[in-house]
Amino acid sequence: MQEPLISVKNLKKYFEVGKGAMLKAVDGISFDIYPGETFGLVGESGCGKSTAGRTIIRLYDPTDGEVIFNGKNIFALSRHDMAEVRRNFQMIFQDPYASLNPRMTVLDIVAEPLDIHKICKNSKERKERVIELLQLVGLNDEHAMRFPHEFSGGQRQRIGIARALALNPKFIVCDEPISALDVSIQAQVVNLLKDLQSKLGLTYMFIAHDLSMVRYISDRVGVMYLGHMMELGESEKLYDDPLHPYTKALLSAIPIPEPEVQRSKKRIVLEGDVPSPINPKDGCRFVDRCAYAIDRCRVETPEFIEHKPGHYAACHRIGEI
Amino acid sequence: MKADTNLRPELFERAEKDNKNADKIKRPTIKYWPDVWRRLNHNKLAMLGLVLIILMGIMSFLGTEISGYTYFEQNLSMRNIDPGSEFWFGSDELGRDMFTRVWYGARYSLAIGIIAAFIDFLIGVLYGGIAGIASRRVDSIMMRVAEVIYSIPYLLIVILLSVVLSREGGGTSMFVLILAMSLTGWVPMAILVRGQVLQLKESEYSLASESLGATKGWILKKHIFPNTLGPILVNVTLTIPRAIFAEATLGFLGLGLQAPKSSLGTLANDGLAGLAVGNAYQIIIPAILISLIMFSFNVLGDGLRDALDPRLRK
Amino acid sequence: MEKILEIKNLAVSFKTFFGEVEAVRNISFDVGKKETVAVVGESGCGKSVTANSVMQLLPMPPAFFKTGEIIFKGEDLLKKSENEMQKIRGNHIGMIFQDPMTSLNPTMKVGSQIVEGLVKHQKVSREEAKKKAIEMLKLVSVPQPEKRIDQYPHEFSGGMRQRVMIALAMISNPDLLIADEPTTALDVTVQAQILDLMKELQDKLDMSIILITHDLGVVADMSDRVVVMYAGQIVEQGLTEEIFDNTSHPYTKKLLASVPRLDMKRDETLVSIEGTPPDLYIPPKGCAFYDRCDFAMKVCKDNMPEFTHHSQTHASRCWLSHPMAKGVKGSEK
Repeated sequence: MQEPLISVKNLKKYFEVGKGAMLKAVDGISFDIYPGETFGLVGESGCGKSTAGRTIIRLYDPTDGEVIFNGKNIFALSRHDMAEVRRNFQMIFQDPYASLNPRMTVLDIVAEPLDIHKICKNSKERKERVIELLQLVGLNDEHAMRFPHEFSGGQRQRIGIARALALNPKFIVCDEPISALDVSIQAQVVNLLKDLQSKLGLTYMFIAHDLSMVRYISDRVGVMYLGHMMELGESEKLYDDPLHPYTKALLSAIPIPEPEVQRSKKRIVLEGDVPSPINPKDGCRFVDRCAYAIDRCRVETPEFIEHKPGHYAACHRIGEI
Repeated sequence: MKADTNLRPELFERAEKDNKNADKIKRPTIKYWPDVWRRLNHNKLAMLGLVLIILMGIMSFLGTEISGYTYFEQNLSMRNIDPGSEFWFGSDELGRDMFTRVWYGARYSLAIGIIAAFIDFLIGVLYGGIAGIASRRVDSIMMRVAEVIYSIPYLLIVILLSVVLSREGGGTSMFVLILAMSLTGWVPMAILVRGQVLQLKESEYSLASESLGATKGWILKKHIFPNTLGPILVNVTLTIPRAIFAEATLGFLGLGLQAPKSSLGTLANDGLAGLAVGNAYQIIIPAILISLIMFSFNVLGDGLRDALDPRLRK
Repeated sequence: MEKILEIKNLAVSFKTFFGEVEAVRNISFDVGKKETVAVVGESGCGKSVTANSVMQLLPMPPAFFKTGEIIFKGEDLLKKSENEMQKIRGNHIGMIFQDPMTSLNPTMKVGSQIVEGLVKHQKVSREEAKKKAIEMLKLVSVPQPEKRIDQYPHEFSGGMRQRVMIALAMISNPDLLIADEPTTALDVTVQAQILDLMKELQDKLDMSIILITHDLGVVADMSDRVVVMYAGQIVEQGLTEEIFDNTSHPYTKKLLASVPRLDMKRDETLVSIEGTPPDLYIPPKGCAFYDRCDFAMKVCKDNMPEFTHHSQTHASRCWLSHPMAKGVKGSEK
């Protein structure tokens, strides 16, 4: 078996929100990401998927856990060593309107990583590299001197991608890169990401709440709920044969763009809302909304076990339901 | 379809095109400050304010030279003469030319306002900026200190300072006036800058910069500071009239500059005596000028705020 | 079918520094009683401007109506005064938005906001209004309405807030509900709840819905008819089945193909529509989709296609449907 590029072990990230209140955004998740693959992370808002992504590349300081990259735990690295490693990790943000500084030209935005790491010798080289990057994402030199507000959402997201590629990273966390975009543009950006992946040998962690898109782009998918990993597996297997009741409900809620199918299919309707992640109770996080919950689910947090080869889930009742 | 007559079969062939055109941007590019200026230009009131400020600024230097009188020259045989061809704005009770004195006073008022606003700007940006990027503890200590300072009435400070620092013979020097106003005046600017920094620090582009490996200093310089400039500029523009008004109040209360120097406030104070004996112009003219200055800076500041507001862009 | 709303030749423009931006360019469609019409398209295609035109919620200036009529129950809304419009908005047309916080007052208790609307528009006593507010919250499945009525909007979750907004829009039994991306900001499981709720309420209260969305899954779920907008124009409209199964316009085809389906193989490529919609500050003379269309012909560049009717209910605006285009690639069904 291939060595993982990144190995996340028991990652935890808590935020203190007032006296004695702990928001457990990510509460002990573990998974591996292999070189050249796309690892999808899905879940509803507040499930901790974005926090997980940001903590893995150390934008947030972790509460506990390890992230192994190149045999080293990057959480244990000094500031100086981290700066080196960071060049391998990049991030694409959700909101292309907020993630580009409105006062900078596209040239300066894309060149920012080059400037930070003092990579280009002179402004000519810098400009050439930026134009090369812009062309990589389907834009050109005409766009370089313009400002972000002149671009559409999809174009802005491509600028964000060009910026993330500037340092030739190995691993990119895509934090809901398409959820702020129009449908027609989503496909554009996803295809671009796939294209770049095969061209440049990139590894992605693709965070999203659009499940059909995640299935399409990811090799393997993890499903999070309230800070816990509920299920993880190869994307087609996970979608065709979900093990966890939450995954089942989630998948059945996706509206399918085919009227006959959509109207005749049976939905598992989840009652209520996602509970608060502040000081969560012991036991399975999904218990209050789960139709199959038994007493054991309330007391004992189910373990995350491999039920089929490469297919993990955390539920006491797998096999029974 | 009526257009059918023009439709030739060859029109119904595949068009030779690539889809490249679809990413072209047709609108002309506009840089930030020219765009702000363009929108400010559309605001007639703000432009009027700007023109008035420039005119008054010029007059505060030229105005003292053209009437042929100086601001301190007394002519006791020509006291309290109504405005006319001899004295354009009349003369005061010591026979000094009001026209020269008013513009001379405007020069001091404007100078005090601008210098005070500038000092507020320097201290406020530095203090607010540091509080904004410091740890939460340091930040909250700094802000409590600022609030305590702000709660001291500046009038009290002026009186104290003028007692302690003023030379004999009464009156307060310009230095003391500015010092007194700046001692508390920087606080609103600091609060504004801190709020902006805190907000921009959390912005996604700052976060993006951090993920690229940028240091705190880099983010401050490249992302936070350029984006706070706008609100700071508005605040400075609105601080100037506040400082001028504060000075005028002090002058009116007799805590202003020492005669024969004058500011608009001390002129209004002098004019108060004239009001009692029917020489209303002695108070009305400086009062009008104070109002005009206040008006001009305020409409300019409001106009700038609108022009800089990103929500009103496009 | 009885028509409740008819939009005829509506054109709306915005005055900007650059010149006039033609946001909506001569659109016509109608909504029948108890019918759900979905308006789909990308951002900037004019779908929200259309909705806000019906409600007369556009800021004027910069917006202005160039031509058109919006006939609601036989009367032209564009000729109504602001006062009359307020009555119509309160009593006959309800609207829900993508972000509930834009229409909920954050400083007012949820209950008071509903009561306020009732007292103002229906002239009922506060006592009665409160009773009705609780009833309404119960109807939209807000648990413990008696308690929640005294809470502020920020104490509600996103899905619950959307429910409150629906309650607010439904309180006066409107004949027409305009839902502008009602579920875009919500998670899928909550979206499913809200869509079910809207369908249930539609049955109970006999109302028509204009559903503005870009999510074709939601369209498939909810709508009877679909209006596809692109660059300020309607490019195709028809019954939902016609739009999905008998797609005519290349834009609609691509739009449908750009959504990944769950039964799709991973090595299939997702169809993407390259480029961006045209800037309506200089609207194209011919077909607006020309720059992004795979089947564009020479005629398309400078000549605006007219509607071709494929059935009584189905029409599209494309030169490929013209008899002279027979045999050209893309003209086949």
